[in-house]
Amino acid sequence: MANVPTNLTQFLFEQTTKKEREWLEDQVGFNDLGLMTGFVATPRFLSKKNISYDSKTRGDLVPHLPGFEVDGWNLVRLARVWLLLHLPIEPKEQFIKNIETLFDTAELNELVALYSVLPLLPYPSEWLPRATDAVRSNMGFVFDAIALQNPYPELYFPEIAWNQLVLKTIFNGKPIHWIYGMDRRKNKELAIAISDFISERMAAGRTVPLQIWRLLSAFVDVTMDSKLLSLLVSGTEAEKEVAALVCSESSEPRIRSLLTKFPDLELSIQKGELDWSKFESIPE
Amino acid sequence: MCQNPNERSTNPSHFESTHSQEEIPTHRDLLWEDYQNLIHGMRFFDPHIHMVSRTTDDYQMMAKAGIVAIIEPAFWVGQPRTGLASFKDYYSSLVGWERFRSSQFGIKHYCTMGLNSREANNERLAEEVMEILPLFAYKEGVVGIGEIGFDDQTALEEKYYRLQLELAKKTKLPVQIHTPHRDKKRGTERSMSIALEHGLDPSFVVVDHNNEETVKSVLDQGFWAAFTIYPFTKMGNERMVAVVEKYGSERIMINSSADWGISDPLAIPKTAALMKQRGIPLELIRMVTYQNAIDAFAKSGQIDVTDFETEFQPDPNAKFHGNSILRGGQQPVINKNSLLIQ
Ligand SMILES: [Zn+2]
Repeated sequence: MANVPTNLTQFLFEQTTKKEREWLEDQVGFNDLGLMTGFVATPRFLSKKNISYDSKTRGDLVPHLPGFEVDGWNLVRLARVWLLLHLPIEPKEQFIKNIETLFDTAELNELVALYSVLPLLPYPSEWLPRATDAVRSNMGFVFDAIALQNPYPELYFPEIAWNQLVLKTIFNGKPIHWIYGMDRRKNKELAIAISDFISERMAAGRTVPLQIWRLLSAFVDVTMDSKLLSLLVSGTEAEKEVAALVCSESSEPRIRSLLTKFPDLELSIQKGELDWSKFESIPE
Repeated sequence: MCQNPNERSTNPSHFESTHSQEEIPTHRDLLWEDYQNLIHGMRFFDPHIHMVSRTTDDYQMMAKAGIVAIIEPAFWVGQPRTGLASFKDYYSSLVGWERFRSSQFGIKHYCTMGLNSREANNERLAEEVMEILPLFAYKEGVVGIGEIGFDDQTALEEKYYRLQLELAKKTKLPVQIHTPHRDKKRGTERSMSIALEHGLDPSFVVVDHNNEETVKSVLDQGFWAAFTIYPFTKMGNERMVAVVEKYGSERIMINSSADWGISDPLAIPKTAALMKQRGIPLELIRMVTYQNAIDAFAKSGQIDVTDFETEFQPDPNAKFHGNSILRGGQQPVINKNSLLIQ
C-alpha cells in the first residue's frame, strides 16, 4: 500500500459530505479493479464543486513534496488522486500495468487526475514517457495538468524535455511562472532558444510575453547589449522594466553597467519595488 | 464503408438479412423538403445512432432538422476486432473524439457501453473486454449498458449478455437491448425473460428494434419499446405511424440506428413530419421522438437537459487532440429528399 499523506486525507475529508466520505472509504477496501473502477466512477458519487483551499493549507498537504498544489482543483480531481494512492504498489509490474490501463482508457478529466498524481507515485521514471507525451498534447487541460503547478517535471524531466515543456508553455500563451521549479531549472540551451525566439519576433515587429526574459537573464552575453539598450531607451514602460531586470540579473559587467544610465529603474529594483512578479499576469 | 452490395448481404448492418437484390425505389411521391416546415421548432432526441460511421454532412443535417441530442450505443463496426486495444480505442472514441465532433455541430452526445453479441462469440477476447468494461461503463456521459443481447442466440452470447446485465445492475445503468433479426420473436422474449430473471427493473430496460409482432409483449411486461426506422429492413415510418395510432406513446420511442449500412440519420424528424401530416397529436409525437428516450436514459443520472435545451453555440475553432473535424465521407446513393422511408 502506498503511503498516503495524512494531511491530504484529512484535507479531502474536510471537503466531503458524510456520504461522500463513506463512498470513498468503501472504494479503498476493494481490490485493484474495484479501486480503478472507483477512480472512473468518482463523478457519479462526488460533487464537482471546487475545493476551498486557503493559504493555511497551501504547500502543506504533502510535506515531503513542495510544489504539490491543489489550488483550483475540484473535489473529483482531488478524490481521484487520493484513490490512486491506495493502489497496491507491489508487485511493481502489476502496479505499472494498472496505471497504464487507466491511462489507456482515460477520458479527459481522468487524464488530468492521472497527470496530477504522478509526482506522488512510486517508480517515477516509469511515468516519464506518459508525462512527456502530455506536453505534446493539444488538449489544454491535459497539458496544464503536467506543465503547471506540478512538481513532477522539475524532479524528473531530462533537460531536453524540460526545455520543450517551457517553450510549449510560452507558445501556448500560458503563464510560465506556474511551471514549478522554473527558476531553478533555467539553462543555457533554453536561454538560447528563447533568445532566438525573441529575436525572431522583434525582427517581425511582434511582441513577446515579457516574463520570458527572466529565463535568459542569467545567460545574456555581451551580444545582447544593443537589444537591451534599445528596449531601455525606446521600449514601452513594461519593456523598460523588463530590460532593467535582465541587466540587474546578468553576470556580465558590461550588461549590468547599462543600468547605471537609468537610475530610477535601478533604484526601484534595489528597493524591491520592481521584480518579475509584476509580469505574472494571467493571459486571457 | 466502401462495401460492395454482395458484402452487404453477407454482413448486413445490425445483423439484418437484407435483400441485396431489392432495388432502391426511385419513385417518391412525398419529398422531405416539402414537409420540413411541419416540424419547424421541434426538438428531437435520437437514442440510437452510430455516428462513428457517419459524416459531417449528417451532423449538419441532423442539427438543422432539430436533433439536439443523441445516444451512440457501442456496437459492431462491420468487421471483427482482433484485439483488446481496438475495443479500448473504440470505446475511447465514443466518450472522446465522437463526443467532441458532435458538440461541434451543437448536438449533445451520450453513449452506452457494451460488448456486442456478435463479438461475444470470440470468448478469449470477450473475457478481456469484460475486464475493462467497468472502466468505461462508469465514465461521464455513459447513459447505459448497450447494445447487448442476441444475434445468433448462441451459448456464448447468452453468457456475456447475462454478465453485462449484472454490470448494469451494479452500475445502476439502463440497458439497451439489441434484438436479433433472425428468430426475432423468440429472441426478444428470451432477452426479456433473462433480464427479469436477473432482477432488472423493466423500467430500466429499453428493448430495441421492435416490430408489430413484438411490441405488445414488450409493453405488457413493462419494458420500453424502441423502434428503429431503417430503410428496407426494419420499420418503415408509415408502419410506425400505425403503431403509434394503435399503442399510443407510452414507453414507445423511435430511433434511426443509422450506421455504416444504408440508413437515414434523419429518420426521427422525417417520421415526426409524417406523424404530424397524418394527424397524430403533437404531444404524442414529442413523447416518442424526444421525451421518452430522455426519461428512460436519464435514469443513469447522466443526462442534464439544460445541456441541450438551452441555446448552444458550438465553437468552430475548437480542437480535439489538435485535430479539427473530419472531412465528410461519401454516402451510399439514397434519396435524401424523400420523406418516406420504406
Ligand atoms: Zn445499433
